Amino acid sequence: MPQLITEANELATAGVTISHLSKSFGTNLVLDDISMTVAAGSVTALIGPSGSGKSTLLRCVNLLEQPDRGTVTVGTTTIEAGTRVSDRSLLALRRQVGMVFQSFNLFPHMTVLRNVAYPQEKILGRSRAEAEERALTLLERVGLRDKAQQHPGRCSGGQQQRIAIVRALALNPRAMLFDEPTSALDPEVGVEVLAVMRELAESGMTMIVVTHEMQFARDVSDHLVVMADGRIIEEGDPRAIMAAPTEERTRRFLSAVLER
Amino acid sequence: MEAVVAVLLGLPMTLLVAAAAFAIGLVSGIPLLLGLRSRHRAVRVIVRFVIDLIRAVPPIVWLFVLFFGVSFGALRFNALAAAIIGLGVISAAYLAEIYRGGFATLPAGQTEAARALGLGRRSTFVRVLAPQAVRTALPSIATFLLALVKDSSIASTIGVTDMVFAANTFVRQNPMTAGLTPFFVAAAVYVVISIPLAIVARRLDARLRRSA
Repeated sequence: MPQLITEANELATAGVTISHLSKSFGTNLVLDDISMTVAAGSVTALIGPSGSGKSTLLRCVNLLEQPDRGTVTVGTTTIEAGTRVSDRSLLALRRQVGMVFQSFNLFPHMTVLRNVAYPQEKILGRSRAEAEERALTLLERVGLRDKAQQHPGRCSGGQQQRIAIVRALALNPRAMLFDEPTSALDPEVGVEVLAVMRELAESGMTMIVVTHEMQFARDVSDHLVVMADGRIIEEGDPRAIMAAPTEERTRRFLSAVLER
Repeated sequence: MEAVVAVLLGLPMTLLVAAAAFAIGLVSGIPLLLGLRSRHRAVRVIVRFVIDLIRAVPPIVWLFVLFFGVSFGALRFNALAAAIIGLGVISAAYLAEIYRGGFATLPAGQTEAARALGLGRRSTFVRVLAPQAVRTALPSIATFLLALVKDSSIASTIGVTDMVFAANTFVRQNPMTAGLTPFFVAAAVYVVISIPLAIVARRLDARLRRSA
């Protein structure tokens, strides 16, 4: 099993704690007093109908969205909503958290190699040679070393998403957020991405994954959180919930997803 | 033949005015763009007003104001300076808008990805957004330059000795023989300059569409 995480310092993954988080867009309450804990090294799958607030919750963890109330803690960094967040603590938080988006968001004007190396140079202060070497090592591990000199536009969606994962991992995050990482991909391509994520989970990375991939949620995640209308309606062991959901709303959602 | 030579003598001035104004515009457009994208609402409102004001007044009026209006002692502009500064300021306003358009087409995901990676505002702007925005804006910038080369001819109205001024002068000095020939010559030279520029602009545009 090739390991995505090898160096000792990278094994320091961190837990994520969300406490009494609320967020409104205008008058629309999208997150209503959410609290959840993700243990260091564990994988939490976040599922629920669209509009349930799962993506917004994820984006609040690294403050792409500013929550109105509540706190987010990653490792030893805590951000309290409503207080003025200094650029420094914002950076401290984001440095610990990697994020992968539905639409990959690679930088199209940079080669694959530069996409992965540039943030390391800027954020970790690595030399260009060091950053590119690390980038090549990681690209190799996801089978994309031969794409290093290409631009992302020349890569398939599945390849782009794997590159995006590598770009985030290159910064040694202590937790990773995935926002529907396979929703923009054909199912057979999504498999490549899920394989990388599975490997990452096995290597002990803390992960929060917003997904519609029920098999992944059941097989890979340690904890399942079901959201609807901005609230957590049910959470617990993924297999247990999928086999026998307690909430009617969960039951409806699961049967709708599984019938597709 | 005499007419051709006379008009061509104005060509360097035409190119100088256009090139200098374009250079001023390319550079000064950047602070205006930053103003339009400022975090502070007051800055955005002021810069927006300045840009709209510059664009609202006809270029020829700007040149007249600068040339005849600004004259406190040493600060009196000569015709060339007035033309270059006037057209430069106007170019800055238009190019700021073109730059802004380039940024506006970028997907929000680019900024989000940069922020999520932990890149600061400056790096995000300079290394992630600007290269993409410039590439998107290039065809419009080339098209703007094309218009500027021709519009620089209004500098002749304040006495800059460009091609149109040269054509005018030639007609005035040879009222019986010149006819419209000098103007046709000037027109031909503008065409010769413009067509390659137009081709470049179209190529850039086509390349952009392919790579997008």
